[in-house]
Amino acid sequence: MQGEAGQIKIHKNVIASIASLAAAEIEGVKAVGGDFRSGLFELMGKKFLWAVGVEVNKNEEVRVKIPLVIKYGYNIPEVANKVQENARISLEKMTNLSIKEINVNIQGIEK
Amino acid sequence: MRTIGIVFYTTILMLIGTALIIFSLIKLQPQDITSILISLQSSLSSRLIIGLSGILLMLISFSLAQVILGGLQREKTIAFNTASGQVTIALSAIEDLIRRLIGIVPEIKELRPYVCATKKGSIIADLKVVLKTEVNIPELTGRLQDIVKAKIQEALGTEEQPFIKIHIMKIAGHEDRDRKRKEIEKEEFPKVPFTGYGVRQN
Repeated sequence: MQGEAGQIKIHKNVIASIASLAAAEIEGVKAVGGDFRSGLFELMGKKFLWAVGVEVNKNEEVRVKIPLVIKYGYNIPEVANKVQENARISLEKMTNLSIKEINVNIQGIEK
Repeated sequence: MRTIGIVFYTTILMLIGTALIIFSLIKLQPQDITSILISLQSSLSSRLIIGLSGILLMLISFSLAQVILGGLQREKTIAFNTASGQVTIALSAIEDLIRRLIGIVPEIKELRPYVCATKKGSIIADLKVVLKTEVNIPELTGRLQDIVKAKIQEALGTEEQPFIKIHIMKIAGHEDRDRKRKEIEKEEFPKVPFTGYGVRQN
């Protein structure tokens, strides 16, 4: 990304953190993560970095993959939609990047 | 491809097994093995053929292992698209959801769900159930099917009817009966207070 005084680089981990925090804000989300990879890195103490997958293509379009554990009793598509919307709003507001896709992956349901 | 893999590995293991049996029966002398190996190593062409066969076997083995493991590791999910992207739901999440229903139906002692999705996207839930007491099975299974169906539809927000299969593995009524019998025995022979004190004689 080109700023007025020079180049601005946003690390993928920053994008992952923003998406992760935005997802956690939504009611009905029990946890961000829950898949095998994030479980493995959670054990190693790297909770936020690896739960959310981020891909940036040459046109600086961002594709985000959020694994979620949903609270029991909530409508899954509704929660997933809210997560996608909130993550998109937060990412666009904080990074000015163009978000191509926010893919939500429901890994489990907990009380 | 998986069948080819199984045939390949079976053949290799059979060959190794046969060689070991022949060796153990002393049908093949060590000097015979040595002479075969020496003759194979003697010419460049035979060494080249053996080396290339080795590489080929390794490549076949690697690709077959990938196919077999890829099939095993493939995540079972159902997916739908929204304006912002794709939402995938692991079938294990639906299994979690069904497992939570154990609290709603008190007659169920144990519930083991297995969920799979067809190519068309419809859900098939196979429930293995252990019942607590001797209940009316058709009534209970009908109720359970309705509850599971409603819960899946509610959680996924779909109108599509999931197919619910129920398999009753056991009726664990004996434990309750034993417990009741023990309670009755206790009532019949109640504990007398201050018993068990012996008279100490000096």
